[in-house]
Amino acid sequence: MSGVPLMAYLALGLFMFTTGVVGVIIRRNPIVIFMCIELMLNAVNLTLLAFARYQPSAGSDPVGSAMAGQMMVIFVMAVAAAEVAVGLGIIMAIFRLRHDIDIDEMNLLRG
Amino acid sequence: MDNPFSLIWYVLFLPLAGSLIQALFGGAVVRRLGPAQGKRLMGTIAVLPVAASFLIGVVLVQQLTTMPVQTRHEVVTLFDWIQLQSISIPFEALVDPLSMTMVLIITGVGALIHLYATGYMGDDRDYTRFFTYLNLFIAFMLILVLGNNLPLLFIGWEGVGLCSYLLIGFWYKDLNNARAANKAFIVNRIGDWGLMLGMFLLMVVLAGSKVSLQSNHYLSYEVIFANAVNALRAHPELATAIALLLFVGACGKSAQFPLYFWLPDAMAGPTPVSALIHAATMVTAGVYLLNRMHVLFELSPVASAVVAMVGAFTAVFAALIAFGQTDIKKVLAYSTVSQLGFMFIACGSGAYWAGMFHVTTHAFFKALLFLGSGAVIYAMAHEQDMRRYGNLIKYLPITAGTMIAGYLAIAGVPGLAGFYSKEAILGGALGNEHAIAGGVNLGAVAGWVGLFAAMLTAWYMTRLTMLTFFGKQERWRELPAEEHHEEAHAHDAHEAHEEHAHEDPHGFFFTDEEMAARHEEHEHHHALTGDHQPKEVPPSMWIPLVVLAVLSIGGGYVLHQHELLQKWLYPSGLAVLDPALVPGHPHALPLMALSIFAAGLGLAAGLFFYWKGLPAKETYDESKWSPFRKAARDQFGYDGALMDAGVNGGRDIGLAMWKGVDVAVIDGAVNGLAWTVGRIGDLVRRVQTGFVRSYALMMLLGGVGLLLFLLMELRKLGGAQ
Repeated sequence: MSGVPLMAYLALGLFMFTTGVVGVIIRRNPIVIFMCIELMLNAVNLTLLAFARYQPSAGSDPVGSAMAGQMMVIFVMAVAAAEVAVGLGIIMAIFRLRHDIDIDEMNLLRG
Repeated sequence: MDNPFSLIWYVLFLPLAGSLIQALFGGAVVRRLGPAQGKRLMGTIAVLPVAASFLIGVVLVQQLTTMPVQTRHEVVTLFDWIQLQSISIPFEALVDPLSMTMVLIITGVGALIHLYATGYMGDDRDYTRFFTYLNLFIAFMLILVLGNNLPLLFIGWEGVGLCSYLLIGFWYKDLNNARAANKAFIVNRIGDWGLMLGMFLLMVVLAGSKVSLQSNHYLSYEVIFANAVNALRAHPELATAIALLLFVGACGKSAQFPLYFWLPDAMAGPTPVSALIHAATMVTAGVYLLNRMHVLFELSPVASAVVAMVGAFTAVFAALIAFGQTDIKKVLAYSTVSQLGFMFIACGSGAYWAGMFHVTTHAFFKALLFLGSGAVIYAMAHEQDMRRYGNLIKYLPITAGTMIAGYLAIAGVPGLAGFYSKEAILGGALGNEHAIAGGVNLGAVAGWVGLFAAMLTAWYMTRLTMLTFFGKQERWRELPAEEHHEEAHAHDAHEAHEEHAHEDPHGFFFTDEEMAARHEEHEHHHALTGDHQPKEVPPSMWIPLVVLAVLSIGGGYVLHQHELLQKWLYPSGLAVLDPALVPGHPHALPLMALSIFAAGLGLAAGLFFYWKGLPAKETYDESKWSPFRKAARDQFGYDGALMDAGVNGGRDIGLAMWKGVDVAVIDGAVNGLAWTVGRIGDLVRRVQTGFVRSYALMMLLGGVGLLLFLLMELRKLGGAQ
C-alpha cells in the first residue's frame, strides 16, 4: 500500500476531466477535440481504478468487487478505441470533401 | 327440391339470366350479325325469359287453385342469407295468391311491353343496354313481390328504384333526362328511409315483445302475421308508428301526394319504360306493400285513415293538374298518380282486395294507354304536344281503336275493366267502417272524394282522346312545310345514329327512320312539319296494343264474375284477417248508379268542351289560358316550391356548412394548430446553431444540471435517514 491517499487520485481525475470538457468546448480542431474526449474518458478510468483499489468496505468478496472496477476500465478503453476509429473515419471523409476540418464550418444542420 | 313450387326460382332467375346475357353478349352479337339481325335476335332473347316466367307463373297459379283455401301459401327456401344469433333472414320465396297475382301482372304485362319495346327501340344505338335494364327490372320486381320477408322486399324495392333511375336516364346525354332520373331516385330515397325505419321498428318491437316466437325470423311474413297482433295490441301507438313509416315508403314508390312529383318527370324515359315501370308495375309496389302488411294497418285505424285521406287528396289533386298539361305523356303520368290515389283509398278504408283489383285493371289499361301514346308519338315524328294532333283516327286506325278502348276503361264506362275495380273501391270505401280517426269515418269521406276524382278522370281522359284522335282539325298542318327539316339541335344521344337502311322482310322492325331520342315539350324541338303524313306502327308494336285492349275491355268483367278475384285473394292462408273487414258493398247506396253518373258526367263535360277540337282558350299562347289552367300547368306551384326549397335550400345549407362550419371552425382549428406549432418551431429552431461546440456546451450544462438534481435528491434521502 502506497501512502498516496484516495483524494489525490480523485483530484487528478477531476483536473483531467475538467481539462477535457473545456477543451471539447473551446477547440475547433476535431483531432484535438478527440484528444480531449480521450482525456475525459481516462479521467473517469482513473477514478474507477482508484475506487476499486480503495474500497471503503470490502464485502464478502474483496477480490471480486475489486475486479469489477478494473473490468469497467477495460470496457471503457475498448469502446473509446472503437469510437475514435469511427470518428477519425468521419473526419477523413469530411476532409476529402471539403479540404478543411474546422468544425465551425460544418453547420449544415443549422436550424 | 321435390316441391313443384320450386319452379318459382325459374320465375325469378330467368329474367336475371336474360339481363346478364344482354349485358355480356348483347353488344358483341349486334356487332357480329349487323344491326338488323343482331337486334332481332337480342330482342327475341329479351322477350323470351319474361314470357317463360309468365307461363311458369300460370302453372303455379293452377297448382295453387287445386289446394284447399287455407293452405294456399307455400314457402320455398333457397338458402340461408343472413344468419346471426339474434336474427336470421333466409332467402326464400313465398307463393300465395297475393304474390302470384303480382307475378302474373309483372310478367304478363312485362312480356307485352318487352315485345313492344323491341319495335319502339328498334334503331336505338344502345338497344341491348335497354333490354339489360328492362330484364333486370323485371327480376328485381319479382324479388320484391316474391320475397318472404321484409329485407328481401327491400332488396327488390331498391333494385327497381335503381332500374327506374337507369331507364329514366337512358338517354343520359340529355341533361334533362339525367336530372329527371336523379329526381326520381332522390325522392324515392325519402320513401325508402321510411320503409327502412318501419322495418327496423317492427323488428325491435317483435324481438322485444313478451310474445314467445317459434323462431328468430323476425322479419318473415308468417312470423309477423302470427305475432304482430299480440305484440302490438297493447301499444296501438307503436302500430300506428310502424304503419305510417311503411306508408311513407309506399308514398315514395307509389307517387302519393307529398312525394308524387318525381313521376311526371320520369316520363323523360323511353315510352315502354313509362308503361312498364311508371304505370303498370313499379308504382304499384306501394299498394302491394300495404296489402302484404295489412295486419299492421288493421291494428291502426289512424294510420288507415291517413292512407285513405292521402290517397283521396292525391286522386283529386293529380286529376286537376292533368287539365293543365299539353304533353300527352304528362297527362297520362298525372292520370297514373291519380289512379294510384284510388288504390290507396281502397287500402286505407280496408278494402285491400279492391286495391289489388285496381292494380290489375290499371296495369292493363294504363300500359295500353302509354304504349298507344308511344305509337302516336312515334307516328307524329316525336311531337308530344296534343295541340299539334287531331283527327289521327284517320291515319292510325289500330292505335286509335285500342287507345279508345283503354280510355273508356279508365273513364269507368260500365262493362269495362276500370268500371268494376273503381266500383269495388268506392263500395269498399263507403261501406267499410275501418279508417276512423277522431270519431270520423274518414274512409267514407275518401270514398266520396274518390267519386269526384272518378268524374274528373273521365273528363280529362276525354280531353286527351278528343284532342288526339278526333275533330276535323289536323293541327300540325299549320306548321311550315319543309322538305328536309334538318334539326338544328342534333340529338346528342343519336349523333352516331346507325346508318343502316335495311329492309326487314317481315316488316317487324323499323327501317332507318329517325327515332329521335328527345322527349321534350319545347315547341322548337320537334321535327314535325306541315306536310307530315302519320303512318300506322308495325306489328311488333300493335300486337301488344291489341292484347292489352282485349284485357282492358274484358279483364274487369272476368275478375268480377262471382267475386273471382276477391275469393282468390281472401282469405289468404297467411292473413289473420278480421272477418268483419272483408268488405261488402253498402246496400244503402245505389253505388252502380253513382259510378255511372260520375263517369257519364265527366264524359259529357269532356265531349262538350272538346267536341270541336282545340278550344280557343287552350291555344299555343299560354298567356291567354284561364288562371286555373295556368296553375294546373305548374302543378299549383307545389313542384316548383318544393324544388326551390329542396334544391336551393339544400345548396344554401351546404354553403353555410362549408363556409361557416368547415372553413371557419374545422379548418380554422386545424390550420390554427398547425400555425401555432410552426411558430413554436420557429422559436425553438434557433437552438440548432450548427456549431458542434455549442452542442457540447449544452451537453455539459445538461450533465451538470442532472448531477445537481441527483445530489439534491441524495441529500434528501440522507436527511431522511
